[in-house]
Amino acid sequence: MRERNWAPASIDLSVQIYTWLLAAYPERFRAEYGPHMAQVFRDVCQRESRRGGLPGMAALWARTSLDLIRTSVEEHIDRGIDMNRENFVRWSGWALMAGAVLFAAGLILGSFDTNYSDPIGGLDAFYEISQIVGIVLGQILFVIGLLGLRAGYGTRSGSVGGALLLIAVIGGVVSLGGMLIMNSSELGWTAWALGLLTMTLALTGYGGVAIRRRVFSRWNFAPLLAGAVIPVLFGVSAAIDSSGGSMEDWTFAVGVSATAVGLILLGYRMQAEAATTSQALA
Amino acid sequence: MAEGVKGPERFLPLTPAVFHILLALADGEKHGYAIMQEVEDMTEGRVQMGPGTLYGSIKRMLAAGLIEESDDRPDPALDDERRRYYRLAALGRKVLRQETERMAGLMALARRKHVWSGVG
Repeated sequence: MRERNWAPASIDLSVQIYTWLLAAYPERFRAEYGPHMAQVFRDVCQRESRRGGLPGMAALWARTSLDLIRTSVEEHIDRGIDMNRENFVRWSGWALMAGAVLFAAGLILGSFDTNYSDPIGGLDAFYEISQIVGIVLGQILFVIGLLGLRAGYGTRSGSVGGALLLIAVIGGVVSLGGMLIMNSSELGWTAWALGLLTMTLALTGYGGVAIRRRVFSRWNFAPLLAGAVIPVLFGVSAAIDSSGGSMEDWTFAVGVSATAVGLILLGYRMQAEAATTSQALA
Repeated sequence: MAEGVKGPERFLPLTPAVFHILLALADGEKHGYAIMQEVEDMTEGRVQMGPGTLYGSIKRMLAAGLIEESDDRPDPALDDERRRYYRLAALGRKVLRQETERMAGLMALARRKHVWSGVG
């Protein structure tokens, strides 16, 4: 076999990054199992590096990232051995519904903010704080909801559907990260907008898959409704801005409300179908 | 997990990760990476557990008494003292048996209903 000089360095770097990422787990879990998880990850890195080279390592990182996001959420929720897939999907359905309400409320109340560039406080403090709390909490709940959607429906959605859900999760995480650094970096706005656009476009694509494959027992249009409106709003707003005009406030409120309705319908289906599955298996 | 059910039945049906870990430990104790490899080999690569899934499941299985840590070192020459070894507990073996019986029952039902006729 050809000598791969990059291999030991890339393995060490991968393990170092993975060890940092273990911070996502609760402290007690990390203290108990963190070193063993890092050791196992090192073993798998060595194997994948030997077998698949750089593409193998990239595929390993893709799998491991998803595993890390999903299981760190599970460990924080810490539901015990009965936290099976159905329960996770059911709770993430509720998370999606709550996230939709918070996100829409945050955006709509935030649109009443009279001055976007002033520091938080003053007469419009209520609108400013509602916007920040609503959007941040809403996006955290979206990520949990999308993870549940992928856990519960990824297999029956096929490889394209599963990949689109993964892209939606990544978009949600990027958008949330952008929101969190918005105050300290200009990059935050770009990450927030691009992440949100990626998440909603991927959800729109997934909506097409859901309709074609009849993934849900009903309301297969819900992911399309949840995903399509925000990219359309982005596009229309950009077009109006470039022609020197500005979008009517009611257009924005109607668009965000339609997105929220789509997400609520999707979350409701997830929790209802997971509850039915749990009862059938019990 | 069905409420009000006692004994091994209360764990059924098992999640895929818990079932595969129990199955991997059925023929002897193993450390984390060996369990992961065994699961991949048994399923011809169809089930690939990440470290989070593996150790999250191990944590819950230890708490439920399905598996236990082992101080024995099967092969001192190949052993790494930093690794933890796990083995099936008596309850875990019973749960595994009941789960495979449940699955066998489902298979028999599917066969009686000719689920596979005309497939493939």
